[in-house]
Amino acid sequence: MTSFQSTLGEEPGIAEELAENQQAISIAEFFEKNKHMLGFDSGARGLVTAVKEAVDNALDAAEEAGILPDIYVEIQEAGDYYTLIVEDNGPGLTKESLPKVFGKLLYGSRFHVREQNRGQQGIGISAAVLYSQLTSGKPAKITSRTQGEHEAQYFELIVDTDENEPEISVERTTSWDRPHGTRIELEMEANMRARNQLHDYIKHTAVVNPHARLELREPEAHFKFERATDQLPEETEEIRPHPHGVELGTVLKMLAATDSHSVSGFLQEEFTRVGKKTSESIIDAFRDRHYGREMRWRPPAATEDIDLRTVVAEATANKGQDATSAFADAIADGVDERDRIAHHELLAVVADAAEDAEAEHGTTFGETVRENAVEAVWLALVDVAEDDEDRESADSRLVDEIYALADEATSTRKDDAVVYAFAERLAGTFADVTEADVRHRLTQTALREAVDRAADLTEEYDDVAFGDTARENVVETIWDVMATVPDEPPLVRELSDDRDAASDLVDAMRETDIMAPPTRCLSPISADLIEAGLRKEFDADFYASSSRDAEVHGGDPFVVEAGIAYGGDLEAEGTVDVLRFANRVPLVYQRGACATTDVVKSIGWRNYGLDQPGGSGLPNGPAVVMVHVASTNVPFTSESKDAVANVPEMEDEIELAIREAARELKSFLNKRRSMQKRRKKQNVLGKILPEMATKVAEVTGRDEPDIDDAIARIMNNVLVEREVEANGDAKAVSVVVENNSSTSEHLEITDIVTAEPTALPDDVTVVEMDGEWFVKWDPEVGSGDEATLEYEVATDASFDLSVKGVETEKLTVKQ
Amino acid sequence: MSTDTDQQAREQLIDLAAQFYDQFELGEIPHMSLPTRTKNNIEYDDDEKVWVYGDRESTRSANSVRGARKLLKAVYTIEFLADQLEQDRSSTLRELYYLSESWDNKEAQFNDQDESNGLVEDLEIVSGVTREDFHMRPEESGATIMGPLHLREQTRRGEREIHCQEDVGEGGYQIPNNPDTIEFLDCDADFILAVETGGMRDRLVENGFDEEYNALIVHLKGQPARATRRITRRLHDELGLPVTVFTDGDPWSYRIYGSVAYGSIKSAHLSQYLATPDAQFIGIQPADIVEYDLPSDPLSDSDVNALESELSDPRFQTDYWEEQIELQLEIGKKSEQQALASRGLDFVTDTYLPERLDAMGVI
Repeated sequence: MTSFQSTLGEEPGIAEELAENQQAISIAEFFEKNKHMLGFDSGARGLVTAVKEAVDNALDAAEEAGILPDIYVEIQEAGDYYTLIVEDNGPGLTKESLPKVFGKLLYGSRFHVREQNRGQQGIGISAAVLYSQLTSGKPAKITSRTQGEHEAQYFELIVDTDENEPEISVERTTSWDRPHGTRIELEMEANMRARNQLHDYIKHTAVVNPHARLELREPEAHFKFERATDQLPEETEEIRPHPHGVELGTVLKMLAATDSHSVSGFLQEEFTRVGKKTSESIIDAFRDRHYGREMRWRPPAATEDIDLRTVVAEATANKGQDATSAFADAIADGVDERDRIAHHELLAVVADAAEDAEAEHGTTFGETVRENAVEAVWLALVDVAEDDEDRESADSRLVDEIYALADEATSTRKDDAVVYAFAERLAGTFADVTEADVRHRLTQTALREAVDRAADLTEEYDDVAFGDTARENVVETIWDVMATVPDEPPLVRELSDDRDAASDLVDAMRETDIMAPPTRCLSPISADLIEAGLRKEFDADFYASSSRDAEVHGGDPFVVEAGIAYGGDLEAEGTVDVLRFANRVPLVYQRGACATTDVVKSIGWRNYGLDQPGGSGLPNGPAVVMVHVASTNVPFTSESKDAVANVPEMEDEIELAIREAARELKSFLNKRRSMQKRRKKQNVLGKILPEMATKVAEVTGRDEPDIDDAIARIMNNVLVEREVEANGDAKAVSVVVENNSSTSEHLEITDIVTAEPTALPDDVTVVEMDGEWFVKWDPEVGSGDEATLEYEVATDASFDLSVKGVETEKLTVKQ
Repeated sequence: MSTDTDQQAREQLIDLAAQFYDQFELGEIPHMSLPTRTKNNIEYDDDEKVWVYGDRESTRSANSVRGARKLLKAVYTIEFLADQLEQDRSSTLRELYYLSESWDNKEAQFNDQDESNGLVEDLEIVSGVTREDFHMRPEESGATIMGPLHLREQTRRGEREIHCQEDVGEGGYQIPNNPDTIEFLDCDADFILAVETGGMRDRLVENGFDEEYNALIVHLKGQPARATRRITRRLHDELGLPVTVFTDGDPWSYRIYGSVAYGSIKSAHLSQYLATPDAQFIGIQPADIVEYDLPSDPLSDSDVNALESELSDPRFQTDYWEEQIELQLEIGKKSEQQALASRGLDFVTDTYLPERLDAMGVI
């Protein structure tokens, strides 16, 4: 059989031949072939994307310079082509940078910056230029004027796709009516089939940028969106990465680049929210991971047949009796004092004892003596006595201690004998370790393996279950007893070459609790302005908004905000509109691929009073749900920045933000429903009861009775009633509030009187205006209670009661 | 028909309307309270030996849309009844239902006849005036009597003297809607035999049971009309005749006996006037089904439920009924009166009834 392998062998030149065909491709060339990745997949879409990129750039430019943006977009039909013109009042571009901004992909100031901006990669506008030149063959025409310049710069350029460099065909100065700003004119093959998306984009941009003035003129429409506020969004600041969100590769790069020598310095210098204390916590976590912890054993109890003094004395030679016994006493006491002791702690105890003995007795306790003492004591503690070969392992200290710990960790239902057998096996691991590393140093992983092995054996031989929970508990209990080692962490330069150690550091950083990153790098819209934006563009009955605290994803902080508008002129048929925004940019395409849409679909909207067929998916009804994700690095699904990727941390926050706003919607809808019911009841009763009263009067042959009080009571209404009685020459006026509702009500009552009121109580204010007295009274009336305001007027007067603070459906006023 | 009674009834109705009027004026929610008409709220009146309503009340109040509609209808009905009394006219319950269609107010019209019937009962209870005194009649007039009884009835066309055996055809004497217009002249009967079904009544008449045993055969026609119960009560009170009740052997028939003897739940406010506490039950008893080995049907689920509900009905809480009902639940069978025909057409008159009546000490 002929194998392909052998054929290859016979033609030695093929690999080289193939290699000749391989060559680097420029980024511009790549995107030329992959236009869809940037959102230029069709003529309709290409136009929207070009507008979007140009407007985003313009907004960023103006805001960065502290200028309130004023942006003009025009689309002209030119045969089969369209001309797009976007003008802004930004700071303008210098003659040097201008060609690169528009004529070179991946050229920008923001890619390396952790700060919230609309554009990030420096692709957008140059991709639009590229698209225009590909479809129309015409260069982009750019005019720019910086503040204070007499003349504007005019360029015509294309992107040289081979080199990814601008190729300037015309360069001259020109005059322009704007004092500063940039104007770009692109001609492209396009169509207006995506007119709705284009309008949406401009409208939604206006919603989230209430400080911007936008104008759109296209062949069939002309809109202007005026400013709702003169307040520019707060300026953002660049921040360092947050330890919770960086990946190993990034950390390695940072390690290589930093000026710091120590890990502690590196952490504090290069990351946000890391101070001395946090860096210590991180380093401790790193030690546990990298070096493991040392097991701490109990000092011998009085009942045990171990005398540390003798042990030390035997190990110490030629130091004189007094000095030796002082040394031995100090060590024995030092060990005894502790609850448990680890090897490195014992080292410290011995060192202290040695120094004390040296100071007191003038005898030198050198390295060897110290080492001998440590070894003797430690071996006694871990029960490896040299000449005690016939001792049964069952009596081993290690087994006893492990048994105590395992017994504490496992459920009481476990048979003692089983736990003991398990402890024996686990203690065996420590005994084995003694030969390799006398310090009993284990990483958590090694400990877990040891526990697993012992548990497996126990299961096998003792035929009992030793489940994952029990194992985990044992690991945890023992790990808690073990001590973090004092070893110095490696230096930065060592770390940068040691992938495993660096990985331990990354793990340690993730595990340590660290304050959320600062938000000054973000510019959320704020709940108030979201509501204002929605109010500006949607005529609804109800608005709610929420703005979450910052969270971290991938080292980048992010803030999620949500808003809901409901009712009014919003379309009641079909599903609700979901408006998606990222860094104040509306996302127009790929709605289905966006995390925002997924979250909206996953929420049970029936809970919040919206109709949701099947209990999932987009709800129906006259509502708009908007979500804004602001981040120093929004995770998009593709370069065209149409959809937010499904990042769990972000999805959680989106959900919480929406739910926060939805809760307000729910209480609004509930209230509205109950008011509707009340109104319906009121309507029916308002018809029936007067008819009943008429009939009753007819049957009894009396005048029609007064039914307002009865109605107020039936409707659980708040009844405000004024009575005027003659009191000598004067009139006594009383205004009675009767609260028949089930809740306490706070009313604002104004009685407008045409004569001066007297004998007013203290809690009432009177203001006179043009011969009318405004008597203002704000009573708080509990459920089922009454409150009365009494005053007098000298002469005949007319009155006019107005009551606020109670819904009209709940109010009956009689005067 | 005394105009005095009419006048009184009319005043009672108008007082009721005035009560609503006053409630409006006082700023109260118009309402009326009624005894709760369920079996949980009937209690035994030791003096009268009948079951009457207990103390539990339910309130019809204008607090809800439903309640307000009810009261509106009540006021319209009051007006109608008051006018009717004034003009000395009468109408049937069904006519009231249709008449409401002519009222100017849609909200006041009745949805079905149960509603208007119920409302008339409400008004009876609240005003203390019987339906008859409102000049309201049921559709189907009372049933018939056959037996040696001579009476005088006041009709709209003058007084008529009738003998209920000699002056009537096979159908018997038709009980008028208001039996209080009857005066008993003479009676040769020894006891009253109230029969549930028409078939059995015809059988007894054909076999000449009334003549042979001097029995007044009262046809109950299923659940007896008020007039039937009222005349039974009067025959018992005024002529001292023992009353016996002969029905099918199923739970629904026991209720027929119950309403003759103890009063019905719906008209417990009139028990003193309608019920005959001394009435005795002949059968068909569950024990008879066993004893005479009668053809039977199995109890349906609803029969079982009805029996169980009777066990918790205070009217049936006597040793006799508990024993019989439990027996029936045990054997799981029911039989009709006509099942006696399985032993021949004369069995009922020759054997069954004489044996039962003898055992009960009636003959």
